[in-house]
Amino acid sequence: MDNILTIVGMQKSFGKSLLYSLPMFLISFMFLTGGRPDFSNPASGIALMVVFLFVNLLYFLMHYTGKTDRFRAVLFIIFALSLSYTLIHNMLEVRKSMSFNQADILECKIPFCHLVIPMMLLPAAFTKSIIFPGSIIGGFANISAMVVLWLGATLVLGRGFCSWGCFYGGWDDGFSRVRKRRAIKQISDLWKWMPFAVLLMVMLTAALSLTPTYCSWICPFKAVTEFEQVTSVESATKAGIFLSLFGGLVVVLPVMTRKRTQCSFLCPLGAISSLSNKITPFTVKIDKTACTECYKCVEVCPLFALSKEGIKEGEVSLFCSKCGKCIDACPKKAIHYGIRGIPAGTMKNFSRNLFLFVSFLFMAVFSSGPIINTLQGVLKLIF
Amino acid sequence: MSEAFILGLSSGSACLATCGIVMFPFFMAGSAGMKKIAWDLSVFLLTRLLVYFTLATLSWYFGQAIFGNPLVRTIVPGILYIMFAIMLVWYSISKNHNPVCPAKIVNTVNNHRIVPVFLGVVNSLGFCPALFIILTKGATQGTLVQSYLAFIAFFIGSSLWFIPLPLAGRIRKKEVLTKIGILATGLAGIIFMIKGLTNLIGGLING
Amino acid sequence: MKRVKIVAGLLWAFIGLIVIIILFPGLNSFSSSLSRAPFMKLNPRYTGGAVSKQLISERCTLDVRVPVFNGFLKERNTGFVQLDWRGTLPDKICDSIDYDEDGVKDFCIAIDRTEMKTTFESYNVQAKNIIISTPTSYGWAVRIGLLKVPKSKLP
Repeated sequence: MDNILTIVGMQKSFGKSLLYSLPMFLISFMFLTGGRPDFSNPASGIALMVVFLFVNLLYFLMHYTGKTDRFRAVLFIIFALSLSYTLIHNMLEVRKSMSFNQADILECKIPFCHLVIPMMLLPAAFTKSIIFPGSIIGGFANISAMVVLWLGATLVLGRGFCSWGCFYGGWDDGFSRVRKRRAIKQISDLWKWMPFAVLLMVMLTAALSLTPTYCSWICPFKAVTEFEQVTSVESATKAGIFLSLFGGLVVVLPVMTRKRTQCSFLCPLGAISSLSNKITPFTVKIDKTACTECYKCVEVCPLFALSKEGIKEGEVSLFCSKCGKCIDACPKKAIHYGIRGIPAGTMKNFSRNLFLFVSFLFMAVFSSGPIINTLQGVLKLIF
Repeated sequence: MSEAFILGLSSGSACLATCGIVMFPFFMAGSAGMKKIAWDLSVFLLTRLLVYFTLATLSWYFGQAIFGNPLVRTIVPGILYIMFAIMLVWYSISKNHNPVCPAKIVNTVNNHRIVPVFLGVVNSLGFCPALFIILTKGATQGTLVQSYLAFIAFFIGSSLWFIPLPLAGRIRKKEVLTKIGILATGLAGIIFMIKGLTNLIGGLING
Repeated sequence: MKRVKIVAGLLWAFIGLIVIIILFPGLNSFSSSLSRAPFMKLNPRYTGGAVSKQLISERCTLDVRVPVFNGFLKERNTGFVQLDWRGTLPDKICDSIDYDEDGVKDFCIAIDRTEMKTTFESYNVQAKNIIISTPTSYGWAVRIGLLKVPKSKLP
């Protein structure tokens, strides 16, 4: 069976693809609707059904075409856009502004996101407290729920969270696909270690100042979510930094390099997730017997996870986010999803099916809320 | 104090990245086991501490004379921060291409006993941009004790990297740690540059 | 050994599958369990600290909170005390506060809500300045910067 798949890729017949998509269809229906779709509000009911059918269509196409990345990217990018829309819309309704003020901080009303997690660790261990002005439980984007979701996803997917779960990643993933060819081709290997340096610095500065320094000073995604009101030289400096980083690392450099430069060169959570790649059950493997060393995979990898030296040794680095771009690009299907402990080149189809089910289910359920919300907003605008 | 610690911690990694090449062979070559290495390392670190105490006293003493004027006290440290922070970023980038250790002269010293002392003096007087920043900090502190505390924090931060030096041979991913250290130094430079700019602009606006 | 590795890998993958399947339906239960962990409470730098005393007047209440000096490994020399006025506030508020409960007023704070102006007068060298003064959903909040001065240096 696997020999046949090696020749024709991972494509399946229409009926077989439908069969493989059935479990996702049923489980996502249960998760999205609770088993009882509510059509009392037509806009919400229509949005829910459209999103449900759309995500399942994408999953079906992954099986039918044998391609992963292009369909993952569609949902991933829509997820990022719709989450920003949901957040901004929510803030404009509640606060009439995208910026938060001192009262929001004092009342601990700032939505929590997973990027704060690295900065929480040392203070949580030493001061037994969380250094973020958010809600521990209950309310919108509470700390406990985000930590649980991130922990669960990272344990199973490792850095796969960065391509299947992170609601910011879609921004630079999207911009990295704008141009057909790379304008900047040579990037020093040194820079891919930058997230670890950022991690070291933000963990230390956050612990010593008891403030989430990455969020306060660096996070480029404040440009598409929320940011501190500019009232002083310090807050103006902060605004200058995050806007520059958004423009540079999320928009311009991804367009020029066709790489996800924010995720590769800045994100401290990406560094932690990379380390978790060492223990996760799902991996990307290189079948050295099938590999012809054409290095197409190295060229397309958006996170600098593959190198020529690594390919020669059949190794994928810990930076891999399991996006599937290299797998789709490989003309010999030598690179494939795998399961830890199972040798490269064996059980390819089984490993892919299992990985896709797990990772896509996470993304589909996690992303469906904001996407439904966005679609509802669009429907309200139209009708 | 926390700033001085972070600066020490970040620049200490770069210091080790460049000077480890000289120190590592010394600590390992012909060593009489862990006891001897620990002794040499202690002498080395103690020498660094003494040098830093001297620098803290000198910088505070001269700082009192120079930064007496409130306007000078607002503007000059801001400019110095920015200048040294730019140097720190440049230092981190250039060291990446051409690692040079100020303590390499140790190879010319024959008396083995004084080598750790010599290394300590040369290493702490390396006059890297991080040291310039901490000298500025020491000079702008209100009291001598505060100046000492800033230098002690810098010493602790930078010394942490030297403690596992005798075991460095056993670390498999030495290059990776070096790369992260170099990048962290550059980041520290950027942080201090922003701090200097914010202080300077804020100081000018608020008079 | 190879077979053991394969079986362990498959087992681990199926555990992963189960984790993801139960993650969303069990999210409320998991997160409420996590929220009960000893470290899952907000740092006083964000909450403002526990309420040390309440001054109740006809239409509003003033909460004076415990001064916050907490740092990473030890207390800091600088901190703040937070005051929260709740209820139906008058346009002009003026209160003298004894935050350290030594029987002597430490500072006086006057808020003009219509002008959005706050003035502060310190009677204690340890009460330094206004850090934050802002309207909130429950009324008004002020943070006064504090400095720890050794008793020997107090006038």
